[in-house]
Amino acid sequence: MTKARTSRSTTAYLIIVFVVVFNLIPFVWMISTSFKTYEEAHKIPPTYLPQNPTVESYTQILIWTNFPRYFLNSSVISLGTAILSTFVGALAGYGFSRFRFPGRTTWIGVIIATQMLPGVLLVGPYFKMLVQIRLYNTYPGLILAFTTITLPFSTWMMKGFIDTVPEELDQAAMVDGCSTFAGFRRVILPVITPGMVATMIFAFLLAWGDLLWVLVLTSGDNMATVTLGLSRLVTQFRIIWPQLMAGSVIGAIPPLVLYVILQNYLVKGLTAGAVKE
Amino acid sequence: MSTASAGRRKKGSSTRARNILRGYLFILPCILLLLLVLGFPMVAAVANSFTPLWSPEKTFTLANYFSLLEDVLFWNALKVTGIFVGGTVGLHLVLGFIVALALNTAIRAKKIFRVIAILPWTVPDVISGLIWRFMYNPTSGIINDVLMRIGIGGDYIEWLARPGLALPSVIIADVWRGYPFVMIILLAGLQAIPKELYEAARVDGASRLQEFVNVTIPGVMRIMLIALALDTIWQIRRFGLIYNMTLGGPGHVTEILSLYVYKHYFKYFNFEYASAIAVVMALTMLAISYPYIRTITRRA
Repeated sequence: MTKARTSRSTTAYLIIVFVVVFNLIPFVWMISTSFKTYEEAHKIPPTYLPQNPTVESYTQILIWTNFPRYFLNSSVISLGTAILSTFVGALAGYGFSRFRFPGRTTWIGVIIATQMLPGVLLVGPYFKMLVQIRLYNTYPGLILAFTTITLPFSTWMMKGFIDTVPEELDQAAMVDGCSTFAGFRRVILPVITPGMVATMIFAFLLAWGDLLWVLVLTSGDNMATVTLGLSRLVTQFRIIWPQLMAGSVIGAIPPLVLYVILQNYLVKGLTAGAVKE
Repeated sequence: MSTASAGRRKKGSSTRARNILRGYLFILPCILLLLLVLGFPMVAAVANSFTPLWSPEKTFTLANYFSLLEDVLFWNALKVTGIFVGGTVGLHLVLGFIVALALNTAIRAKKIFRVIAILPWTVPDVISGLIWRFMYNPTSGIINDVLMRIGIGGDYIEWLARPGLALPSVIIADVWRGYPFVMIILLAGLQAIPKELYEAARVDGASRLQEFVNVTIPGVMRIMLIALALDTIWQIRRFGLIYNMTLGGPGHVTEILSLYVYKHYFKYFNFEYASAIAVVMALTMLAISYPYIRTITRRA
């Protein structure tokens, strides 16, 4: 018994050591490369850690390229998406959670099904549409696009969170003379704040990581995002890896920090209703 | 008394009507946005696959779908997508399950391992693609160097440029990026299995394998299927990773459907043909995810 348990935990530790190595090597490689000089990064054979660590790649991309602008664009677009899709999602989530109306299940089905539509199906006509209403290459055009991509998910997550709030709570508010909307605002919203934060972060990350939609819906350098900027750097004739890795480090930090904070909520939100019976 | 009950009934039905109205008011903004930004482009894409919407001549034709049948590159993209999605989702599941089981056993410093285990998933796929592309670099990359040092390699292997190696290499990069998602979901499932079930199995003298087959697997089944459904859908749509690692090359060996549609749209400007491929792709995805949509909807 004890022996079995020891062997089991030894296996577990071995797996975990493997995981730590497998997971971290690419990060170490990215960070290490970002601190190398151009010559060192392209040396044969490669060095594992920078011999003369330098921050020149960081200063170069921050000062001599449009990277700060990309970062700003990514932030504005992702933040706008997060706020809009979470609030619209919270409203819809409340509607689905609290009211039984004809067509309810159908609409839930439709909303879930829209998640299955591939971006490449929609992005072409959406591009035409944006050009026509003059929102091509603008923040609102992109925020609207991303909101719609994240909305089914936000709605579903918010519904899951609102389902966990006892209905007596908003009924009590209505007995106290609150209108439905005031009840939603004063009773539900404060209780589901953690859920809203989780949903917001999730939407933020989805928008932050996208390439396809920004590739199609923007032109030139001023509206490019971090992912698009990096993708353009790598298609250039001469790839400067330390700069590219420095940009990758900067682009990877916001999602990394947010995910680690969000971890527990994320599992709950993604699997709402699946764990509990 | 009869008037009272009639009054109550009347009041009841008007409350019901008001509730229906309220329900719709709350979901209205969501539905409007979806119609505007998803509904319209979807209808346009479907229509466009049958008739050129953006040209003066509008004739209904099935030509786009017929040429699909004869398009070698379309079938190639379908095959590549199948291998890519099958390979990545399968490996995400296997690796995710093993690591979840390991993390679920009593070990010290669980929290820090959990954070490390999730890290790769936090990286945008564009950036994962770039990191791995440089790791695969034949001369200055770490992979060939390590292989040479431990004596397996001995050659500057062109991981992403050799037709036979490019797709497996891309799959491995995606396994690194994607397995942590399946892992955390499964871990949550494992932790939700009541301890008593294991104790009961032990009392009954079940072996570890029997315990795994009869307690663990059924315990995580539902959540595992959800993770698989989500992962499959996400993998079919994957774009940024391959765009940045190989752009579909060498030749077309890593050209997944999303990339193939993208090229037809924005490189060759075959809008109608691109729409037809995308419609087929969407139908496939809907078909695959139909059980998932149904289950979720029914439980809602």
